[in-house]
Amino acid sequence: MNRLALSLLVSASLVSAPAMTYAKDIVIGFTTSETGKLNADSAPQMQGFELWRDQVNAKGGIKVGGDKYPVKFVKYDDQSTSGRVQQLYVRLVTQDNADFLFSPYSSGLTATAAIISEQYGKVMITTGAAEGKTYELGNQHLFQTYTPANLYLASALDAVKAKAPKSKIALIYENGGFAKAVATGAKAYADKLGLNVVIDEAYDASTTDFSPILNKVVSSGADVLIGGGHFADGSTLARQLREQNMKLKMISLLVAPDVPKFAGLGSAAYGVSVPSQWESDASYTPDFGPTAAQFTKDYENRFHVHPGYHAAGGYASGLILQHAIEQAGSLDTDKVTAQLNKMDATTFYGHIRFANDESRHGLQVGHDMVLAQWQKKGGELEKEVVWPEAAGTAPLMFPISQ
Amino acid sequence: MMIKRPFFWMIVATVAVFAIAPLVGGIGVRESLFLAAIYMILALNLNFMIGYTGYVNFGSIVFFGLGGTLGIFAITVWGWPLWAALIGAGVVVAGLALLLGLGILRLRGAYFALATIGVVEATKAFVSNFDPFGGSTGMYISFSAYKPLGGAREALWVAYFLLVAVLGISLLLSFWIKRSRFGLGLFAIREDEDAAMVLGVKAPLFKAIIYSVSSVLPAIAGVLFFFKNGVIQPEQAFDLTLSIEAIVMLMLGGQGTVIGAALGGFAYEQFRGYLLTSSTFSSFHLVIAGALLLLIVLFAPGGLIGWAHERWAITRKVLE
Repeated sequence: MNRLALSLLVSASLVSAPAMTYAKDIVIGFTTSETGKLNADSAPQMQGFELWRDQVNAKGGIKVGGDKYPVKFVKYDDQSTSGRVQQLYVRLVTQDNADFLFSPYSSGLTATAAIISEQYGKVMITTGAAEGKTYELGNQHLFQTYTPANLYLASALDAVKAKAPKSKIALIYENGGFAKAVATGAKAYADKLGLNVVIDEAYDASTTDFSPILNKVVSSGADVLIGGGHFADGSTLARQLREQNMKLKMISLLVAPDVPKFAGLGSAAYGVSVPSQWESDASYTPDFGPTAAQFTKDYENRFHVHPGYHAAGGYASGLILQHAIEQAGSLDTDKVTAQLNKMDATTFYGHIRFANDESRHGLQVGHDMVLAQWQKKGGELEKEVVWPEAAGTAPLMFPISQ
Repeated sequence: MMIKRPFFWMIVATVAVFAIAPLVGGIGVRESLFLAAIYMILALNLNFMIGYTGYVNFGSIVFFGLGGTLGIFAITVWGWPLWAALIGAGVVVAGLALLLGLGILRLRGAYFALATIGVVEATKAFVSNFDPFGGSTGMYISFSAYKPLGGAREALWVAYFLLVAVLGISLLLSFWIKRSRFGLGLFAIREDEDAAMVLGVKAPLFKAIIYSVSSVLPAIAGVLFFFKNGVIQPEQAFDLTLSIEAIVMLMLGGQGTVIGAALGGFAYEQFRGYLLTSSTFSSFHLVIAGALLLLIVLFAPGGLIGWAHERWAITRKVLE
């Protein structure tokens, strides 16, 4: 039996080997965090890439002029650390002859890889990298899929402004690269809206007891809490907010409430909202590519989990690159760059437009965050899109009913 | 004296190979050798503490990270040129290490090892909360910072050649200390600190000096690494894993010897790099790496060089 399988495998590879080199492949290189602490976030992004590639190749590839070229990935494990990122991206460009690049997951690794893409003049579509600073360093070939970190909490603050502009806001966030960048942006945005931030406090990522911070929140009289960081700290914070029976009108936390298992917190999850790059029931009308419903269905069929925004961002990166190549009718970096520079389109993932000015080239300026909230539907916790109101599937519950 | 020994010429040859190989082999070779040189510098300087003096320093990465942080701060915020940032970072870190060394080197054995971990965590916490250093988001180097060196492409080459120079200095320093009276004092401390003190070795001072010496070149290497990296974040800069990997490199090559530390760093980088990009092993590279390292520690506790020294007299004569 084994021998039969082996011989089948060998003959299959012999048959398919010439076919693979028949047309030129479009080679896309990137690193993913297959090991290390970023793995949980990086894996769905990778699945998004894969789903896109397989769907493109099932149709014969990307149309370039009159021909169709299949997509080939070359990827390495960056182990969630920056040590080897530049070495691996150089290898992708020089030895693996990558035509285009995707970014690693996370802002830090992407900034490191960007030096190489810039040095070799290769287009790099970045995803899973929200930090805006990378785009302000004078690049010409970076294109960001995510809404920049400083606007992550903008939709939550817009909602506060619309519902209760006199609220006292507590900004409580993890002291880490991403959350800090988000909080700094949120503080600036709140000031711009004329909102009143009464506490601005960072906590260590490994914090397990929030009571000293929550005591400060109580004594400040804050009635809105925004911030958080990643899953572990964010879910702990949400649970302790519930245990202390804090009477808050609104709680909006980063990342954690977007993870499906957040619902496992039960009553502590109820009413908590999360800024999200994308939600599966967002109803954009795409100019090209699948609808959100179609993407969600295909993704679930393939991976047997519901897609979050990491996965959608991965798929959207491929889609954006594909569209630019098809519009350019060429694999030439300059022509594709020109198409990306003038892209102004809507996909299942939302609106896409890149800043063109030299001081912040490639920064995502078209895409909006949505705000999702855990609400109760027939006694079950369900995550609903609540902001912006036009794209919402349910009205924002404000204040959170007890 | 040093010049007459064959080992001196081996160092010269090593540096020459590092300088010439990427010119022939291209940027792919340069990237691999850049990381190899970083690892070798970390291992060689850690060897001063572990191999020469017998003090296990789990926190050697703090010099690398702090040097990088200070250097990149000088470049991005104060607009210093690269050379000045390198010297500045080296001097400041050495000074801090000397002060720190006079304090924590009163501890011995496991207490010292624990204290060094504490130093890394405390420094990381400080940098994460110190806004002039960018806090936890870190500092990003503008592409314009590379302009004085002729653009990003040229700047990366400059960083590489400077690093090769730092590697050369690390090797020579290791060799020189090993042959010096000062080095003999360190070995005496390693074998029996109390006996050494009875014989007139000023152990506390010697230890503080070597702790400080072992910090300078990693600090400079840190500036070069993060200058080339384009961004420095506390999470990356004070990565305890790399500290522990440096100890593994030493054990792999053979602690207490110059060639062992260098070879360990080089072999470790090449080995991990090969596993990571090999189509056969890439999906379980950590398993293979772990198993092989376990075998080496079990069956060749003296490392590659210790193993060679046991068998051949000639290696004991020639290799330091």
